[in-house]
Amino acid sequence: MLKSVWQYVVANQNDIIRSLGQHIEISLLAAIITILIAIPLAIILMNHRRAGEFVLQVASMIQTIPSLAILGLLIPIVGIGTVPAIIALVLYAIMPIFQNTYAGLTNIDPVLMEAADALGISKRYKLFRIQIPLAMPMILSGIRIAVVMIIGTATLAALIGGGGLGTYILLGIQSNNNAALLVGAILAAILALVASWLIKLLSHVSFKKLGIGVATLAVLIAGGYGVRSLATPKTETITIAGKMGGEPELLINMYRDLIEADNPNIQVNLKRNFGGTSFLFKALQSKQIDIYPEFTGTILQSLVKEPSGVSHHPQIAYQTAKKDIAKQFQMTLLPPMKYQNGYGLTVQKPTADKYQLQTISDLVAHPELSAGFDPDFYQQADGYPGLQKKYGLKFNSVRTMEPSLRYQALANGKLQVTDGYTTDPEIKGYNLVLLEDDLNFFPPYQGAPLMLTSFAKAHPAIVKSLNKLADQITTSEMQNLNYQVTVQHKKASVVAHKFLVAKGLLKK
Amino acid sequence: MIEFKQVTKEYGQEDALKHLSLTIGDGELFVLVGPSGSGKTTLLKMINRLVIPTSGQILIDQADVAQIDLENLRRHTGYVLQTGALFPNMTVEQNAGIQLEALGWPAEKRHERIVELLTRMGLAPDLFLKRMPSELSGGESQRVGIARALAANPKLILMDEPFSALDPLSKRQLQALILQLHRELATTFVFVTHDMREALHLADRLAVIYDGELQQLGTPAEILAAPANDFVREFFADVQQTQYLQRVLAAGFGQQLTENSDNDLPQFKNSDTIYQWAQLLQQQPQQKIQVAGFLLTPQDLVDYMASLNQGGEQRA
Repeated sequence: MLKSVWQYVVANQNDIIRSLGQHIEISLLAAIITILIAIPLAIILMNHRRAGEFVLQVASMIQTIPSLAILGLLIPIVGIGTVPAIIALVLYAIMPIFQNTYAGLTNIDPVLMEAADALGISKRYKLFRIQIPLAMPMILSGIRIAVVMIIGTATLAALIGGGGLGTYILLGIQSNNNAALLVGAILAAILALVASWLIKLLSHVSFKKLGIGVATLAVLIAGGYGVRSLATPKTETITIAGKMGGEPELLINMYRDLIEADNPNIQVNLKRNFGGTSFLFKALQSKQIDIYPEFTGTILQSLVKEPSGVSHHPQIAYQTAKKDIAKQFQMTLLPPMKYQNGYGLTVQKPTADKYQLQTISDLVAHPELSAGFDPDFYQQADGYPGLQKKYGLKFNSVRTMEPSLRYQALANGKLQVTDGYTTDPEIKGYNLVLLEDDLNFFPPYQGAPLMLTSFAKAHPAIVKSLNKLADQITTSEMQNLNYQVTVQHKKASVVAHKFLVAKGLLKK
Repeated sequence: MIEFKQVTKEYGQEDALKHLSLTIGDGELFVLVGPSGSGKTTLLKMINRLVIPTSGQILIDQADVAQIDLENLRRHTGYVLQTGALFPNMTVEQNAGIQLEALGWPAEKRHERIVELLTRMGLAPDLFLKRMPSELSGGESQRVGIARALAANPKLILMDEPFSALDPLSKRQLQALILQLHRELATTFVFVTHDMREALHLADRLAVIYDGELQQLGTPAEILAAPANDFVREFFADVQQTQYLQRVLAAGFGQQLTENSDNDLPQFKNSDTIYQWAQLLQQQPQQKIQVAGFLLTPQDLVDYMASLNQGGEQRA
């Protein structure tokens, strides 16, 4: 376990460091913004108790909203990426800092305040030399709570393309890669501990030095941004994003290689593991991203309203999806690749040989085989219930189980039949047999680049580059590629590049 | 000169002070005394407008405090609170110099002044300048509090029950310090206490306040000799009525009468009380008396009253 984590760290060193940097950047910005909002607010409200109590109530109410919900609510307003992540983090962190600052300022011994007044000390002097210093231990503990919370919650930024260490946690969950998950989680925890310790150190530093430190930090950050924006060349940059997992990452790397090879003046910015379907779709609508790979089946099942037809024929499904998404959302779906990534039923090779199984129809004669399905598949109309109707399929024993456990159970011989996605790398990894959907029951899921029609019209060269992938990559090729990335942990960019070169789609 | 003219303070329905008029002379050590809740602290805080009267006027040297620049008034008025009320985040030097800083004194001059004052307060500067308030005893805190009040050379110092939280020894030492300062400085002190013995010990003149009204105004001897009403009599009763002259002598007061002494002095018995003595003083304020071969002066009466407050039987 430890060894595999270490190998993962070594192999992805640069990416991990970049994610760590992103995580620190997001957290630091959120913390500074929160401090700049919460502390002055508490100072203004310390002499207006009723308003202060009201703000406390509002802040605690915000905190009860699940962070995912806040992220979701923010997307239509500010889009995706770092900005909504920071806004959400700020909204969360205001409560502890405000509460502690307010309590610290309002609970100072009234005798001291009377003394200050009686000695004729100016309001400013009183605030900066007496009230704030006396409240400082409380303020710092509020900041500590907030920063630890921010660093933890910032892992969710990965869900909406904000990057950071959450990328590895999500990647780990998605691709069942414990090494990635551990790297993300452990680094986030260490970061929180270090930050907490640093703030504790700060509590022993005088107010004056603290002010100088904060000012220096602000200048450094501003300077960093300035240098970065100056250093960025003025070529056109387009953004391509992908859903969670290895397969989308492979695809967007292929898109980038193809586009950049044909268009030297275009720079492609990749956002991998960007989020779920609805995040990506909204991001495309709001032009936060320019292109992402989507499936015909997903478009018909979840994106368009009332699809104009549901066909089990891939070619017709593509035409319907293309027509509907253009009409309803002014988007263009380019021609799909060859492989299908839909549901399928798999068995072990020995089982297939023993019962001579090649198609799903072949299974009907063997109700004695024990089956285990993903809970969704077990319930959905396009899953097991539909199969029963279409094929007259019936198993004597059917269990539902976690998707990640199915293949293991199959390999251990505890199950004989299970569902899966047709390009799952485990099919290759466990040497399984994918049974042919001979009655064309499963809706076709073919991947293709999706973009706004206005973008497609403005960039015909990009469309041309992407179309090179049309009708390319077979299901077994995709399984093989996925296997290299998610099981063998090879870098997606390398795997994608090699594949394109091997296929003659790229020169070198 | 501080004048209270028909001062009334209402808190909600209750009157804390009722049409109270009073004049405090320049350079006096003036004590406001009364049980808690009597309104004496309210009266004190009206002088620097920490409390604003519902009606009536307070004049300092003919100027209405409601009209003059408040910050300036407060920066030139010393203020000593019950517990010292030092700011816990500042050193002794910073605490004592806070008013000077507000007045814009340069750091060097400030330092000199604080060194001088701490020395005067009996706190060795090299030991105490850099200490934090948490490292001080109650008595030391209060000495720093007094240094803070004196720093800007104020013409007026207000003290709100400054010694009520101290142990008897510190209390006695600080009272002596106040009396000494008062002798040395041309400063008016207004001192609030609920402790009648402390009041008698310190006051040039004292005002007995009860229930928001001025009960009696006068020197300690006048008040002891002729309480204006039942309240004042009772307030000082346990000092007076149980105090036989026997105990005054036992406490070491009085001078042995010699053959040359004036033998025409009024004769008092050991079993007479200081109350009877005070009654005589009301008619003849300068009258000395003789008790069992000892001579007692009016000052002895005042000093004895004061010594009681310290719980001691010996003269200092």
